Amino acid sequence: MAAGRLLTEMQAYDLSRFQITVIGDEHQGSYNRIMLSSVLAQDSIVSDIILKDRNWFDEHGILFHCGQVSEIDRSCQHVVCEDGTRFSYDKLVIATGSRSAKIPADNQQLKGIYSFRSIADTEQIIDQAQQTKHALVVGGGLLGLEAAYGLAKRGVEVTLVHRSGWLLNRQLDEAAARLLQRQMESLGIRFALRNEVVEFCGAANLSGAKLKDGQQLSVELAIIATGITPNAELGLSAGLLGDRAIQVDDYMLTSDPNISALGENVEHRGKTFGLVAPIWEQAKVLAGRLSGQPTLAFENQPVATKLKVSGIQLFSAGEIEEATNQQSLLLHDEAAGIYRKLILEENRVKGIVLFGDVASGQFYFDLMQREVSVEAILPGLIFGEVFLEKDIVRDLLSAA
Amino acid sequence: MKRIETVEISQSGSTNTTCPYCGVGCGVTVSTGGDNDVRVKGDKAHPANYGRLCVKGSALDETLSAGNRLLRPKVNGEDVSWEQALAYSSGKLKSIIEQYGPDSVAFYLSGQLLTEDYYVANKLMKGFIGSANVDTNSRLCMSSAVAAHKRAFGGDLVPGCYEDIELADFLLIVGSNTAYAHPIVFQRIAKAKKENPNLTVVVVDPRRTATCEIADIHLPIKPGSDGFFFNGLLSFIADNGCIDDEFVHQHTDGFAAALAQAKLQVPDTKSASQACDVDEDVLRQVYNYFVATDRVVTIFSQGINQSTSGCDKGNAIINCHLATGKIGKPGAAPFSITGQPNAMGGREVGGLANQLAAHMSFDVPHHVRLVEAFWQAPNMAEKEGLKAVDMFQAVNDGKIKAIWIMATNPVVSMPSADFVRTALEKCELVIVSDCVDNGDTTKTADVLFPAQGWGEKQGTATNSERCISFQKSFLKPMGEAKPDWEIISLMAQHLGFRDGFSYNHPVDIFREHARLSGFENDGQRGFDISALENITREEYETLKPTQWPITQSSPTGTQRLFGDGQFFTPSRKAQFIPIAARYPAESPTSDQLIMNTGRIRDQWHTMTRTGKASRLLSHVDEPYVQINPVDAKRFNVTANSIAHLKNHNGEFFGRVKVSTDQRQGDIFSPIHWNSAFASSSRVGALVSSNVDPVGGQPEFKHCPVSLEAFTPSVEGFCLIANDLSGSWTPAVDYWVKVTLISGTKYILANKGVDGCSIGDFKAAFPQVESWVDMSLSSGVAARAAGFIGNQLKVVVVLDSQVDKLMDSTWLESKLETEVETDIRYQLLAGSPGDGASAPGKIICSCFQVGENQIKSAIEEGCASVESLGENLKCGTNCGSCIPEIQQLIPG
Repeated sequence: MAAGRLLTEMQAYDLSRFQITVIGDEHQGSYNRIMLSSVLAQDSIVSDIILKDRNWFDEHGILFHCGQVSEIDRSCQHVVCEDGTRFSYDKLVIATGSRSAKIPADNQQLKGIYSFRSIADTEQIIDQAQQTKHALVVGGGLLGLEAAYGLAKRGVEVTLVHRSGWLLNRQLDEAAARLLQRQMESLGIRFALRNEVVEFCGAANLSGAKLKDGQQLSVELAIIATGITPNAELGLSAGLLGDRAIQVDDYMLTSDPNISALGENVEHRGKTFGLVAPIWEQAKVLAGRLSGQPTLAFENQPVATKLKVSGIQLFSAGEIEEATNQQSLLLHDEAAGIYRKLILEENRVKGIVLFGDVASGQFYFDLMQREVSVEAILPGLIFGEVFLEKDIVRDLLSAA
Repeated sequence: MKRIETVEISQSGSTNTTCPYCGVGCGVTVSTGGDNDVRVKGDKAHPANYGRLCVKGSALDETLSAGNRLLRPKVNGEDVSWEQALAYSSGKLKSIIEQYGPDSVAFYLSGQLLTEDYYVANKLMKGFIGSANVDTNSRLCMSSAVAAHKRAFGGDLVPGCYEDIELADFLLIVGSNTAYAHPIVFQRIAKAKKENPNLTVVVVDPRRTATCEIADIHLPIKPGSDGFFFNGLLSFIADNGCIDDEFVHQHTDGFAAALAQAKLQVPDTKSASQACDVDEDVLRQVYNYFVATDRVVTIFSQGINQSTSGCDKGNAIINCHLATGKIGKPGAAPFSITGQPNAMGGREVGGLANQLAAHMSFDVPHHVRLVEAFWQAPNMAEKEGLKAVDMFQAVNDGKIKAIWIMATNPVVSMPSADFVRTALEKCELVIVSDCVDNGDTTKTADVLFPAQGWGEKQGTATNSERCISFQKSFLKPMGEAKPDWEIISLMAQHLGFRDGFSYNHPVDIFREHARLSGFENDGQRGFDISALENITREEYETLKPTQWPITQSSPTGTQRLFGDGQFFTPSRKAQFIPIAARYPAESPTSDQLIMNTGRIRDQWHTMTRTGKASRLLSHVDEPYVQINPVDAKRFNVTANSIAHLKNHNGEFFGRVKVSTDQRQGDIFSPIHWNSAFASSSRVGALVSSNVDPVGGQPEFKHCPVSLEAFTPSVEGFCLIANDLSGSWTPAVDYWVKVTLISGTKYILANKGVDGCSIGDFKAAFPQVESWVDMSLSSGVAARAAGFIGNQLKVVVVLDSQVDKLMDSTWLESKLETEVETDIRYQLLAGSPGDGASAPGKIICSCFQVGENQIKSAIEEGCASVESLGENLKCGTNCGSCIPEIQQLIPG
């Protein structure tokens, strides 16, 4: 997906001056992974989410090789695929992405346990769901919630197990998460919070799971969505610098001057990536550099989170709990399921948590990015941009 | 039009009646229809207003609801039957009179009573109980003018009429904010000014008031220096050879002494300008207008009357008119404008302690005998009774053991109002007849009698120009309310005075009153309406407004008095009174300010009725303290902060208005707020009981007070829907209650934060099903909206400073409306959020047009009051707001 985006960005310059080979292990080409949740939830079909199919590569004179690279030989600038094919390169881009993080539960080899990363995963889950009465989702982050929602929409009874005390604990505070939980529960999803899967049960096929608190669930399908692990081994084993992922500079260059990297497999200034927006930015930076164009350095901007669950409105960015030197501006309509919170430090927006009504999320995001003082519009700011005096808003947004 | 759920109309169709508020005495046409619709408009045929009506009169329909009405008699807080209440109170009265004598009881009456009510009360006390301890709240507004008129003319006689205002070429308005206190008179002046380019208007007032909008000159004299101003004018008249020698010689006495006294004190314009602290050239110009114009009317009101030298000031004015013969002629008169609707009617029957009845006096011995004979009085009072201030002092001292208060609220309106409350609280028997049950005074009562209100009772009232008008009923009495004349008559009968009080209808009383006015009169007494002594009930109920005297020789009334140069003194000549002008009794110390008091445009007296009309609170909804910018700085207060006024009498809280309309050293506070509408904002609590030695009127216009900034930690407001309003009162240091169309607003401020959190307020409304909350984790800023279903029932908004609070107008309109669940939180924003600007401070109460709307219309090209009226309708109904609209138009 990151590679596909890179090619799109490079099209803006001159794609034909390069001889490009793309090696990927998914035969569909490049597709929008984010939309897998929509496929599971029956809001899209697979063909809708393909961005660049095999024909696209042919039409643009790009060789698409379906397979996995097993080794990079930096000294002779070759990559070696598992099937033995070798490709030489002048410039190599590593965009191997990530995989689901492992959980410390026994018997994860059982049939019926899936991650939720690829079209293949999704198609198998959909297949299995047709014969499944009760499913388990492990992980109460964005992906886990979307998976649970998708399964619930397919008529499966879902239990979601989450380690933290509340859902989306990286994006929401507890009060907002309770509203989210209430709304998800109304869709028929059951939650087991502050809990973990200790053991999966079954002979060959999954038939149940045992949780940390002792409860036994009877499930025929499980999706593990507890986070991601960068697919960084290929680069790191080739001697590229990096800790959890492949280290890149502000121009997406690794420690090897001929090798670049982008996506969920890189670390930039110690940070790895899991959301799409900064990766699009990386693609732009890298495309410019590879095309020999002057380009801005990559900057890791805060990103707003949205949840793709129909009917649930959620917007979160920056900090979610106020520190001692901060204050929160809060609006709460428990009965209506609306919760809006801004975290302020010296009257500057440092965090946004909106649930139930995300109006003006982007406006708050801009204010946060600009680090302008919002003192003049407190406390009315919490109601949104349309409730503020236009002149004041204009001045704020034009301020440095 | 107002459909009033709780009232029942007694007749459909159109009823001509009289407005119950100020002394202008406007005619009101009430249309009543099915479904208890009541519609109020000005009576086109009434000579006081010719169809006009001010904002208070226009909102009469909004004051008729059951709300705070007293519906049943009560004894010691318990509902009882009329018979029980009368038996109890008459029994106590009898035993008190038997034990302590007639002077141990007192009646305190009101200019709100009708003439017939007044007549019966006065007769019962002075002729049957045998004391003259009958006084009235007219003591607080008119007694100085009354005394001045009596000294000069030999009777309580107002020479001129409203038409004189229109005929005059020079109007000198002194101590009267006519624009607010007598709006229809002001409109007549404004119209006259427009139609008569020769008409010059000068306003003499320490404060620049709305009346100054039509003035050619505003002379901001030093507070209380009016006597010096008119003595200076008398000297000026003499020095410029402008004395009407013929008139003075033939029709007056005492000119030389009066002039000598004036000359001695204020010989010239220089000394006058120094005494009044005004520019000498401007003063001379005003004096010149007076002497150079034939048709001069001097309008005076409370600024003259409410003074320890009010009577002298009245005579100082009259002296100038007498010296120049500017009296008894069309367009020439000293003109006292009465405060209350029936202050004059009350005086006609002798409602004051120093009057007998029908303009007769205790100091004329045969008057006492004459009235005694006429009433066949068993216990005729022989001497004057106690005037208001002395009366409440006697209550405090235990000399008066029983007092019956009717239709007035002395715990708010009297000077030393806290003292009055204490006095009443310890009084053995306090009887209060009123139409409301939540007044400050009703709280002190042992016995409460429910009186009929406007629209229910009927009888006559006399306005400022001696015009008797009929107040006609169109509603069925609410609860068990009775007319005051009947309550008093029943009491009289219970006291054993059956014969003198067997009235069946107010016309019986009116006939007796008319007969007494002519009884052995022979032209000696100015007040004579004997031509009406045989009036039939039908004639009475359809009585056309008529100016007294109404005699056989002038059966259709008398527009002007003294046209023949004949006065009602023994010599038949008008009397000059030598005036040694005096400044007010109490001088401020160096760290005090002088508090002036007065009315605001949209409220009447202590708000018990006008406080019920939402639109009458949209112009000014909070008690305030107006202060000059220099003083504001000196006393460390800013606009919109809260001022805490204090002196040895009591305290007062009000919102600060900083304005150069106020002289340096002076402040102004409105008189209206009572304890049902504000935590502690009764100006009466600050006013000292210093009175005029002749008329007994207290000095309300000059109260030395200290001023401190009240600095709250929390300010806010609370909006409560009608069905949740109940009897809740916020437990905060400062609150003001504001009536809304669909509920109540409380303005709040508290010194500390404890007990003043959103949670504390929410706890007061357990009926609320769900709350929307907004808060800032540090500081006190917070808002909450409470709902039952999806109907907005309660809103609480708090912040650290008043300027941070949003305007509540839009939210008020959302109270009791259904709001969609998912957007109801947006209500707490306080505006619709579509960029539509709020109307701003309401200027036009009739059409609810705000300052912002007017300003933007001006920006769009409306350059006159007329064009604004065409576009926004503002100022096109009652016109009370026109001076303020005028101020918004540049240039």
